[in-house]
Amino acid sequence: MKMNQTINRSTRFRVLSEDQIEQIFYSALEVLERTGGNIYHEGALELFKNSNAVVNGNNVRIPTTMVEEALNFYPRKITLKGRSGKRSLHLQKDTVTFGTGSDLPFTHDRETGKRRRTQYKDVKDAGRLVDALSNYDFFMSHGIVGDAPNPQTYDRHQFMAMLEGCTKPMVLTSVDGEGLEDLWRMGCLIQGGEEEFRLNPLFVAYIEPISPLKNDRSAVEKLLFAAEKKIPAMYTPCPSSGATAPATIAGMLVQSLAETLLATVLCHLKNPGMPLIMGGVTTLLDMKMSTYSYGAPELSLASAANTDISKWLNLLMFSTGGCTDAKVLDEQAAAEQMMNLFYSYLSGANLIHDVGYIDHGTNASLESLVLNQEMMGMVRQFGKGINTDDDHLALSLIEKQGPGGEYVTTDHTFEYWKEWYMPELQDRSDYETWKKNGSKTMSDRVREKTQDLLDNYQPEPIDENLNKELHKIVDDADKRHA
Amino acid sequence: MSMDLSKISEKLISGDVEGLKQMTEETLQTDVNPGDILNQGLLPGMDTVGQRWKDGDMFMPEVLRCAKAMSGAMDILRPQLAEGDLGNAGTMIIGTVAGDLHDIGKDLAAMMFEGAGYQVINIGIDQPNENFVKAVKEHKPSLLGMSALLTTTMPRMGEVINSLKESGIRDQVAVIIGGAPVTEEFAEEIGADLYAPNAGSAVDIAKEHFEKKST
Ligand code: B12
Repeated sequence: MKMNQTINRSTRFRVLSEDQIEQIFYSALEVLERTGGNIYHEGALELFKNSNAVVNGNNVRIPTTMVEEALNFYPRKITLKGRSGKRSLHLQKDTVTFGTGSDLPFTHDRETGKRRRTQYKDVKDAGRLVDALSNYDFFMSHGIVGDAPNPQTYDRHQFMAMLEGCTKPMVLTSVDGEGLEDLWRMGCLIQGGEEEFRLNPLFVAYIEPISPLKNDRSAVEKLLFAAEKKIPAMYTPCPSSGATAPATIAGMLVQSLAETLLATVLCHLKNPGMPLIMGGVTTLLDMKMSTYSYGAPELSLASAANTDISKWLNLLMFSTGGCTDAKVLDEQAAAEQMMNLFYSYLSGANLIHDVGYIDHGTNASLESLVLNQEMMGMVRQFGKGINTDDDHLALSLIEKQGPGGEYVTTDHTFEYWKEWYMPELQDRSDYETWKKNGSKTMSDRVREKTQDLLDNYQPEPIDENLNKELHKIVDDADKRHA
Repeated sequence: MSMDLSKISEKLISGDVEGLKQMTEETLQTDVNPGDILNQGLLPGMDTVGQRWKDGDMFMPEVLRCAKAMSGAMDILRPQLAEGDLGNAGTMIIGTVAGDLHDIGKDLAAMMFEGAGYQVINIGIDQPNENFVKAVKEHKPSLLGMSALLTTTMPRMGEVINSLKESGIRDQVAVIIGGAPVTEEFAEEIGADLYAPNAGSAVDIAKEHFEKKST
């Protein structure tokens, strides 16, 4: 028996020290006491007025004690169940899952090679790929159903497209409180009622504040509804450093943490014990092109730091990776997507979204989803770290094979090479073989794989009766908004 | 005399907000024509800034500092200018359409137009269609800018243009639109005059349009 051992069962990566996290946390508390946040929702203002917070018009300042109290009430574990019936998504500290982003207005058309508006079918196709590809754990819509009959109800149609394509757990955007209510009712139908949904949620609701420090009516409406029904939700700031947040990463983290903490207090006032998840797309505004960057190294750094903070606060974390500013799936795309996938994974964030985004969050690409499948596989392999038990140290084997021996034919190799990562699309062939096989590039292989999946993969269908009931909720919404 | 005015350009290019205000005031005390301060001092300065930005020699924080200096100088200069001195750089209304809360892109565009000498009235985010029409009636701007960042709110821009038509004031104002999901094609579809893919190019696009119109 060996005493006092530390064995790393995975790699270890951390950006901030505990002292730095405390500095950021205390600063965020200071922001809430000194500056506060603005809220444009009467009901929420009322809740704050009846508390120890100080309300001045739309401005709410919050004493630290309220934040500290609220923070005690958030779950450290949420488990989601897809419509396939598998409780497949276990969110708890340092458990990492990957998924797509949502609502992209454009789609890279695979036939014309041009950009066009995203449609219902594209969302369903993205869903099918996510369902088929093993490294995706959850699905956000990737694109927006641009051909939905009414912008006021597009979220219900989008959910249908997602459900038709994909059986995995989801993260859903919604139009407003009413939209979220419909999505939740659809979710309850699928999970078998309100109670079952509470224990086995099908989705997490995606909600955002407006950086800096503003909370609009519809976001608050959604937040309060989620709190009331205990629907898992993330309140995820999207600050752009230098434009809607300080140009320093530390300042951006302070501000977005203040935004998060305000939401923790609000939800706590509404209904203690709501499954709230911390979030953030913390990046910068490019000062040359004035675009919100999805490929900057600062995005990776700030996101990983944000995850450090979330763990220290015992909150689950919704983070960002697998995305790029590149207009097409080129070398820039691969480099940027790999970088932010890698560090978000190593940081231990729970839900890593936006995988597959190209063109700084405006363009959808099915091929990008397939490319990322391979990159996520590589990243996951790295994260496994190095096993150092006796079998893996292989002392007796080294002795047995001795100087000048070989390992190819040993039982040990026969057993352990299977722990290696098995590439699907990476090419490691020699030059002549590669040439003989058609000199295919990664792009060629990604294109073929995408086509193959689209031609052949069908998800488990939705039960017919259930489908009717779901459509009824969608139709009713369309009628109400006709 | 033009010697002095190039100093104004330089002050502007250096982004010295207070310094430029002071210099503008001092120059106004002399017998220099206010129109010349604008057309031979400030505007050539901003042209240089715009060019340097396009060439990648200047970045947004620097450009916006210059725009702020320009706008400060314009506040002093504007009351002294004669009719016609301003050329095309008149008044601009800008806002984000109803249901849309994205503001930073619109604000950047507003600042760039301010930097080009426009008097910009920024009516804010989530503005109902009628507020755009009302603002056009009230302020008689040469340019109306609309921003939409959502597929679902883009149609509002076409509706505003239709309302302008119905009110019989469509011809009084050039409409420029922008925002991430907006395209040149969409602008044509809804009958907007101009589309700019980013705030940097917007001023040039407007300038070109007005120059073409006046010839
Ligand atoms: C930051 C952000 C937000 C912030 C906005 C904060 C703020 N203070 O503005 C918050 C978090 C609030 C937000 C909310 C939402 N967002 Co948002 N958001 C973004 C994001 C990531 C960046 C926008 C940005 O700031 N860009 C930087 C600025 C400088 O660029 P810009 O706005 O495009 O402006 C430039 C040009 O377009 C042009 N321009 C813009 N306007 C004008 C006007 C004129 C006259 C001219 C000449 C030029 C011009 O000049 C600017 C400078 O070059 C975009 C993705 C993207 N890359 O665009 C999504 C994005 C626009 N959002 C999106 C969505 C879906 C939403 C939500 C609906 C999410 C939800 N379900 O809750 C809500 C909607 C809220 C609402 N009702 O408006 C989608 C839109 C999808 C679609 N198909 O319509 C996008 C594309 C992201 C995505 N794929 O999901 N968002």
